[in-house]
Amino acid sequence: MRKPTRQRLAVLTGVLAGGLLLTACADDGGTSSASGDGGACSPEDVTLIGQVRNQTNPYEAAWLSGGDEFAESVGLEQQHLTYDGDSQRQQEQIRQALAGSGMECAVLNVLPNGDSDTAPIVAAANEAGAYLVTQWNKPADLNPWDGYDRWVSHITYDGEESGYLIAKALFESMGGSGGVIALQGILDTSAAQDRFAGLQRALSEHPEIELLDEQTAGFDRAEALNVTRTLLTAHGEHVGGVWAANDDMALGAMQALEAAGATGVGVVGIDAVPEAIAAIEAGTMTATVSSDGPWQGAIGLAMGYCAATGELDVADVANDDRAFFAEQFLIDQTNAAEFAEPELNLDDVDCANLFTRATGPIG
Amino acid sequence: MTSPDTARPRATDAAGPAPPQGPAPAAAGRTPSRPRLPWRPSGTDAVQTTASLAALVLMILVFSVLDAQFRTWGNLVAVVDAAAVLAVVTVGLTFVLLLGAIDLSVEGVIGACALTVALLVANSRTGLDLGVLGVVATVALGAAFGLLSGLLSTRLRIPSFLTTLGVYAIGLGVATILFSGERPIVGDPWLSGWASSKFLGFAVASWVAAGAILVGWLIQRYTRVGRYAYAIGGAEDITRLSGVPVARFKTAAFAVAGAFYGLGAVMATSQLGSGVVTAGSGLNFSAIAAAVIGGTLLVGGRGGVLQSMIGVLVLTVLQNGLILAGVSPYAQQAVQGVIVVVAVAAATWPVRHRLGVVK
Repeated sequence: MRKPTRQRLAVLTGVLAGGLLLTACADDGGTSSASGDGGACSPEDVTLIGQVRNQTNPYEAAWLSGGDEFAESVGLEQQHLTYDGDSQRQQEQIRQALAGSGMECAVLNVLPNGDSDTAPIVAAANEAGAYLVTQWNKPADLNPWDGYDRWVSHITYDGEESGYLIAKALFESMGGSGGVIALQGILDTSAAQDRFAGLQRALSEHPEIELLDEQTAGFDRAEALNVTRTLLTAHGEHVGGVWAANDDMALGAMQALEAAGATGVGVVGIDAVPEAIAAIEAGTMTATVSSDGPWQGAIGLAMGYCAATGELDVADVANDDRAFFAEQFLIDQTNAAEFAEPELNLDDVDCANLFTRATGPIG
Repeated sequence: MTSPDTARPRATDAAGPAPPQGPAPAAAGRTPSRPRLPWRPSGTDAVQTTASLAALVLMILVFSVLDAQFRTWGNLVAVVDAAAVLAVVTVGLTFVLLLGAIDLSVEGVIGACALTVALLVANSRTGLDLGVLGVVATVALGAAFGLLSGLLSTRLRIPSFLTTLGVYAIGLGVATILFSGERPIVGDPWLSGWASSKFLGFAVASWVAAGAILVGWLIQRYTRVGRYAYAIGGAEDITRLSGVPVARFKTAAFAVAGAFYGLGAVMATSQLGSGVVTAGSGLNFSAIAAAVIGGTLLVGGRGGVLQSMIGVLVLTVLQNGLILAGVSPYAQQAVQGVIVVVAVAAATWPVRHRLGVVK
């Protein structure tokens, strides 16, 4: 434990200052090259990065495996990043992933944690010159065509449509009349709000269907189990159907129905997790909606890859394709078998078919 | 307590039997009109328990008036069945709280155990079909996690707050590795039956929980792990000076707690129908809140398994009642929070002066 001498301190200060200067210079160099030419990367120089919240839910696991499959098809490997739903950690991971040099050939397919997390990710990617595709969350006033030449596209799904599709399927299975209970997601998320708006639109078209009760179960299976148990006591045999804002809650509700010995109650959810599809095949669940996780995991990487290798010129992409609602699929007993093993169709992510699933611009 | 709380001199006499009559001189100046009750440690707990029970009864009365559905037999069954998992977890946590320690590992341990039991009984992923043996192994795994928390806390002398937070992360990590992208669906009819079959009107899981509460109470009452937990929580230094191997019994208490988390995970898995990493989400906070509402205080040495169960019922009745009473889902969380704080305040009010320093 020697005391630092004056000389040592001076040296230390000098080194630090020099380091700062160097970093500053490097930053300058990075920015200027970033805005330069695109599409000049050879395929083997491309780095593919997929980032999702965690790998513990089947949907995001399917997302990553779709990305892996695409990466393999072009002879590369996808780097997995997971941030456990922690915005801070997501930003930190992005910063680290983009810290190296030569990021002009990096491709990021990112699921931002929330709307507000998208702006810093976009800024970081643009700064480093990396190609970026974001999915699900972005603020309404932030758009790829506002000077972000490396932010290829933002893909999301019309939650109102998903909520509407499953509600229609549920009401039809109930014969057009009866009582339903609704399990909402986390109330302050746009996903929960949009999906519930879809249910309300379907309800307005079906005056014979009565919404007995709406409760939140936070997108969580265990919570849905408990809430449904209570709702079943409250409404008893009046419950003819359960509308859930995601499959996990739908599956929790099904467990509650089973424990209560209630049969013939329709249950619908959103996300198309494997368990839900199995239940639909077995006839215990009515319907779900798929956003096609493997496709989501692959398409973002494909868009960036095609842009990096010059097969896609981002400047040529229409604004309607740079922020779009993607096609979603209603799964019921007639087509559940096809979705039982979610697989990536490599044709869907071919450079020529990148935007074929766009159903319209966001808004 | 032995806390150096000079502002509240009466706090000191909880360590031993209090003088049978007469207020302490310092206290007399503060509350001249209030006659001093003949406090004994057991008497204090009795008052506390009465207060917790009163809070529960009051809540039941209010909800019964608000909603006719609440008063039905069917709803009683629903409340008991819904309380089962929280009850078992809270029994375990009670042992840690009695020590004056805290356990934040619950959700991680439950995650790991939920995946383990789902993979050990007949399921959609592994070829195993161990049945009862799988359940026993899972409870043992829970105990092993508890043992780890205990060993880290006592041998490395790290506060349980930190070690259990570490074990929480380890548990969740193990769960994630076991999950490996595909949820194992439970195919064992015996385990699924815990949630779906009824025995004497209640789900089998509720009877399992009743059995677990009984076992917990017996451990607390008749084994050295339980008895010493009170002594350690009340005055660890004195217990150590009396020749009790404190570290060993603390570790054992953590292990007992872990075993109960393991059982809770098994029950949650039977209810959910598959191995879910987040099977325990929210349970840690609920269990701590339940224990404190019931009178198992965070300072240690007070309360017990049965008292904690009052808190479990308070929380479950509250959740059930708010839905039945038609409180808007948008307001429910806030209302629930307010009622929990009020319930804790009401339950600890009679003994608040003996709680020592509140940190």
